[in-house]
Amino acid sequence: MSHRSARFLGESFLAGVAFAVALVFPALADEPGGDREAGKRLAGQCRTCHGMEGLAQIPIAPHIGGEPAVYLESQLKAFRDGQREHEMMSIVARGLSDAQIADLAAWYAGHQIEVELQADQAQAPAACVMCHGADGLHQVPDAPNLAGEANIYIDTQLKAFRSGRRSHDIMSEIAAAMTDQEIRAAADWYADVKITITEVE
Amino acid sequence: MKTGLRLAALCLATALSSPALAQDNMDRLQSMQRTDAQFTYVEQSGQRADALKAILPHIKVPSGFEVSLYAIVPDARSMAVAPQGTVVFVGTRKDKVWSVVDRDRDRIADQVMDFAPSVTFDIPNGPCFSPDGFLYIAERNRVLQFPAAEFFFEGPDPAVAIVVPQGELIPVEEESFNHTARVCRVGPDGKLYISLGQPHNVQPVDKHEMYDKEGIGGIIRINTDGSNREVYTRGIRNSVGHDFNPANGDLWFTDNQVDGMGDDTPPGELNRQTAAGQHFGFPWTNSRVEIPEYRKVPRPEGVDFVEPQVEMEAHAADLGMSFYRGKSFPSEYHGGIFSAQHGSWNRTTPIGARVMFTSLDENGDAAETKVFAEGWLDQETGEYRGRPMDIAFLPDGSMLISDDFAGAIWRITYEGDLQE
Repeated sequence: MSHRSARFLGESFLAGVAFAVALVFPALADEPGGDREAGKRLAGQCRTCHGMEGLAQIPIAPHIGGEPAVYLESQLKAFRDGQREHEMMSIVARGLSDAQIADLAAWYAGHQIEVELQADQAQAPAACVMCHGADGLHQVPDAPNLAGEANIYIDTQLKAFRSGRRSHDIMSEIAAAMTDQEIRAAADWYADVKITITEVE
Repeated sequence: MKTGLRLAALCLATALSSPALAQDNMDRLQSMQRTDAQFTYVEQSGQRADALKAILPHIKVPSGFEVSLYAIVPDARSMAVAPQGTVVFVGTRKDKVWSVVDRDRDRIADQVMDFAPSVTFDIPNGPCFSPDGFLYIAERNRVLQFPAAEFFFEGPDPAVAIVVPQGELIPVEEESFNHTARVCRVGPDGKLYISLGQPHNVQPVDKHEMYDKEGIGGIIRINTDGSNREVYTRGIRNSVGHDFNPANGDLWFTDNQVDGMGDDTPPGELNRQTAAGQHFGFPWTNSRVEIPEYRKVPRPEGVDFVEPQVEMEAHAADLGMSFYRGKSFPSEYHGGIFSAQHGSWNRTTPIGARVMFTSLDENGDAAETKVFAEGWLDQETGEYRGRPMDIAFLPDGSMLISDDFAGAIWRITYEGDLQE
């Protein structure tokens, strides 16, 4: 990432922070109250791709163990209601009730994720660290963990934000300013973080 | 869409942690410079190997056949066996192509390392060889050519040419991660045949015409220099395996079926194509089953849908396939099709994770389909031990099965008596 583009990203990031304050923090007060036992039973239909503990079993699926429940809920609802589209997830989510989504979010959010940074954290992509951390662990409830995701998954999502196919108040703006090379560099950074997810009953 | 063949060597990136590694320097690769890219090696013994070998007793094959572990290969997807048989190139849905090397010909890989570490790959799922030793790699949105890859793989900076430049295989705004596992084959006419899955479960109605024109949800054919692109196969949902019948040149391919219509519908497909431009029904039909979203959408004019030769069990996910060209299997397998079922992800009772065999009759049509190898799905718990993805054959006629779940390549040989 060149110095110039890093500064440019920094500017759009500052704009993003304003959104974050406005949008993310109200969600904090709204802690989900899902039933983990019920979520575990429902997770049988998730495990082929995400595992029971939320460790991805195929490259196209993200790790979701230890993800913030708020994020998991918002994404499942977005798939169900059509704001986010994915060939598989749109089908899986379409029959879920709000309560079932809360249960699933509680099950997967309740697992323990540990990360191990493989490089100097000063090299972390500047535009991402405030919400996703240098080590890829979420800093705000509306941001997913990025640690250990397949680089192509992160790359694909950033390009979807950039093209408008996926939309988010902060991410759409940040991704809009990124080149293909910057996207891949950010994706490689987080993909290189080693993770361990421990299933919590 | 076409570009002159640009022969280039690779010059690229510095330290692994540097963002510069992410830069794709294909534009600067004209100067035959060396890079300091380093190989990543995959350990072939130890705990991982032992865990994989513990799966072997679960795999059931017909009498006389034996299964073994050929190599540990993370995320192993479509395979291309080099003409000399020294190396098998294995694609992934991540950012690596693996060179699986058996120098001593003991039929167990002695080295697995990444191919062309100086190239920034993007879903390089589909490698394929031309008979004269050019390796092609179909990525998410680019196609590369590596001359004499079977010899140049030993160094980190093999010569490379661009067949289809970045962003010109499909419109950039149609890029996705799912349904982006390209498969390529060089046909009897010397042209490249590349499958392009359409990225949706069922494509939105306002996109079907554009997709049909681009060959998204189809198989395209191009010259090996990227010129003369045409849509060869129409009306597919997401094909991840095709091969040419060596007896008559017909193109056969598998197709993955629509999700969300129930556990047992629509069936999976194995298709036979006998002429350019044939239409196989999607998104109007999947294996003769009408797709509800397209019931009222006019079908393309002047087109008869070609129905599948074999209807496979629904959701088993038929992926890679290869004709049997070898001689070391019993004669009943000669000239038939081996195909991999990756296994279901959303069926109430999981199904698949096995290798199927389809014999052909004297007209070149499918005769009979049966299970050839199974046991990668634990029937009691519904959990996968492995998920077969592609089938290839070594020059000795033995079968290789890639498995992107276990991260392995399995090998099946016939040890029985061939006197029949």
